Amino acid sequence: MLLHDVRLALRSLRRNPVLSALMVLTIAVGIAASMIAITLYHARAGHPIPWKEDKLYAVTLDTRDDEPDQGYSRHPEYPPFQLTWRDAQSLYESKIPRHAAMMFRSNRLLSPPSRTLKPFDVVVRVTTADFFPMFDVPFRYGGGWPRSSDSAPDNVIVISKYINDKVFGGINSVGRELTLSGKPYRIIGVLPAWMPQPRFYDLNFGGAFDIPEDIYMPFGWARVEPPRPQSLSCVRNNAKVTGPDSIYTEDCVWLAYWVELDSRAALERFQQFVDNYTRDEKRGGRFPRALNNRIVNVSTWLEMNDVVGDESRMQVGVGLAFLAVCVLNIFGLMLAKFLSAAPVTGVRRALGASRVDIVRQHLIEVVVVGLIGGLVGLLLSFGGLALLRLMFAAGLESSDNPARMQMLQSLNHMDFTMILLATALSLATGILAGIYPAWRIGRLTPATFLKTQ
Amino acid sequence: MEIRALLSSLWRSRTGPILVAAQVAVTLAVVVNVAYIVQQRLSVLNADTGIDIPNIFWVTVAAQDPNYNFAAAVREDLAYLNGLPGVVAASTSNGPPQSWWMMGLPFGTTQEQLQQPSAVPARVFLGTEKYFDALGLKFAAGKPFDAGIVAPPATGMNETIANWPAQVVVTQALADKLFPQGGALGKTIWVGLVNRPSTIVGIVEHMQGVPSMGSKLAEMQYQIVFAPIIPAGPTAFYLVRTQPGKRDAVMARVEKEIADLQPGNRFVQRIETLEKTAAQTRFGMRSSVIILSIVGVLVLAVTMIGVAGLAAFNVTTRTKQLGTRRAIGATKFHILRYFMVENWFITTTGALVGCVLALAAGVRLSTMFQMPRLPLYYLVAGVIALWLLGLLAVLVPARRAASISPATATRMV
Repeated sequence: MLLHDVRLALRSLRRNPVLSALMVLTIAVGIAASMIAITLYHARAGHPIPWKEDKLYAVTLDTRDDEPDQGYSRHPEYPPFQLTWRDAQSLYESKIPRHAAMMFRSNRLLSPPSRTLKPFDVVVRVTTADFFPMFDVPFRYGGGWPRSSDSAPDNVIVISKYINDKVFGGINSVGRELTLSGKPYRIIGVLPAWMPQPRFYDLNFGGAFDIPEDIYMPFGWARVEPPRPQSLSCVRNNAKVTGPDSIYTEDCVWLAYWVELDSRAALERFQQFVDNYTRDEKRGGRFPRALNNRIVNVSTWLEMNDVVGDESRMQVGVGLAFLAVCVLNIFGLMLAKFLSAAPVTGVRRALGASRVDIVRQHLIEVVVVGLIGGLVGLLLSFGGLALLRLMFAAGLESSDNPARMQMLQSLNHMDFTMILLATALSLATGILAGIYPAWRIGRLTPATFLKTQ
Repeated sequence: MEIRALLSSLWRSRTGPILVAAQVAVTLAVVVNVAYIVQQRLSVLNADTGIDIPNIFWVTVAAQDPNYNFAAAVREDLAYLNGLPGVVAASTSNGPPQSWWMMGLPFGTTQEQLQQPSAVPARVFLGTEKYFDALGLKFAAGKPFDAGIVAPPATGMNETIANWPAQVVVTQALADKLFPQGGALGKTIWVGLVNRPSTIVGIVEHMQGVPSMGSKLAEMQYQIVFAPIIPAGPTAFYLVRTQPGKRDAVMARVEKEIADLQPGNRFVQRIETLEKTAAQTRFGMRSSVIILSIVGVLVLAVTMIGVAGLAAFNVTTRTKQLGTRRAIGATKFHILRYFMVENWFITTTGALVGCVLALAAGVRLSTMFQMPRLPLYYLVAGVIALWLLGLLAVLVPARRAASISPATATRMV
């Protein structure tokens, strides 16, 4: 029965090829526009580490003074996303979290051991030891450093796959030496391709969709040489920059702070601890604002940082509005088409087809159009995304780091969920556009049409 | 002509017209807002930068030797660059203009203003007295800072700011903001974070730091302070402006020569034309303009198909009536006009609803992107465009209707 209906639908579509092609194309364009927008949105809205959703927390303290809001941020109620040196050190004393990491991004100059390779700039994460176990960072070779390396600086580093491939040709380089800005370091760990998307743990510099750092270095180095963080901002009233040491002594924020807490109770205790700490500091004249320390999980953190972004929300809105126009269009064209073929339907009714038969037959015709349109639309979206990839590749900073390019490319990659969604969307389009025309045609009394012949 | 008859006939078979009107409404809402966003972005993308972008390149030189004498090397490098044939001027700086790279500080006319919300944020570019020639900036008043006052490189960013000098140059936009009554030249401004005064010795006519959207940032893109400071090492950053047409030749020569001119085991880390930097900065905005424009055109095309489809359907179902009308005296023009007017009613109804939708979407978008509200003339232009496109779409089926011969009426009984 269904097969028969499909055959009828295809025959009806063949009878008016231009109109059918137009309808298929309309749906295809609508599906493609919304799917491209949704794919880009989907890539940005992902959760990088879902299994630790109720364990990992970003810590923010409201160090700001009572200076009125300047209107640059849409959420003036959020505290700064980084901590001062003094506050990070104090929080690090707490034994409540299972893991804790204070960290920042910096640069070093890497002088490769082989003469054939030019020295180049690398991005370094200076962090405490817990970074690796806390964020479940995998290791290809070796491992991280002990907590003791964070107090007395230790000449050890962990390097990324990119650096290992570029400098050592991908071998197990644990134990080798590498010169960074004139200082020798011993490699103790090599990471595989590790790419949390978005790069949730530090969204301050380089954007949420960049690759992780090239090199990881114990936090002890922040104590003995000028830290030079890539992202630094100072609280206006309290901070007085007078020299190189101001970064440690003044209210300037530059450290990201994360903790891993085992339970809700631990979270509550840690929040207590942080609040008590700021209350103590208030006595010394700091933290003039009302208590506003936010300890948030990864989802909330991504939302606070607006990782998805308005651009991508607007694109989804425009895409769906476009699809709505297409649905209305198909709706109208289908109605016109069915009504102009009404005499044939009248004959079928007169020959004994039931109302349900007629409705089903017409509905299937619309669904067939919807699905063919969806298929073409899917191809169109693959084409469109490929075009976007080409555009990205041409427009973005070129890089010899394959991981970086792959990361940028993966942002407009359609996965299986997206293909399922496209199918569902085209089915819905067909049904939405076809249900009324099919019902309307089923309601016609056969007599009216037979009479006019 | 008989408008009442037309309307009542429209009302009797209303589903089709309502669908087309709804389509027109959504289309208007989408197209008007997309056009507005595109226009806003284009105006930022094509804004005058004040910089001689095509003739400038920048180069960073790093050293591997820990005992590298950065201050001496910078002095020599600047002499070398400024002495090269084809070079107009070269200066150190803290980063390329027209890029996302950013250093900002608050400024005020008094020390007290720094603590108040009226303090004015500005981008800060560091350079030597040649910085202005190296970018091709024009002075509205005053002159560049004295060569003698340029602060030597410090050990780090904090110390660099702490050594803030007594002279600055500002853009006209910042001068107007700080001194609305004018006469900024020679006045003292206070620098936030370091709490020091500086005298304005020159006012640059115009410069755009980086193309930015959003009311606050858009305002800030023209508020710039130039300070006579050579930024901290050990990596040197130079901006070089050449005579027209000589950029690539000079760039190739500098890339080959500069590293080995000074000791310290140096190498060229990165060398790039400002043209490329500026294009990369605009990449995201530019691609979104292209994508949005394509979507806008497609939406219009789909709606035109809808309008034409409905009219074509009407022509087919009304063939007999049309023949009869022709037989009893209606001219071809009457038939054509009938379809045109009918379509005009549908489009207008849709457009009116569309205006409401467009305004609602516009309010949402203007808060999202911090843009001014959708100007009403966009709606007017959108409605007119949809009228014209609707009439164009209906023309083909309407002409087919007009060409139906009166004989049809007699043939089909």
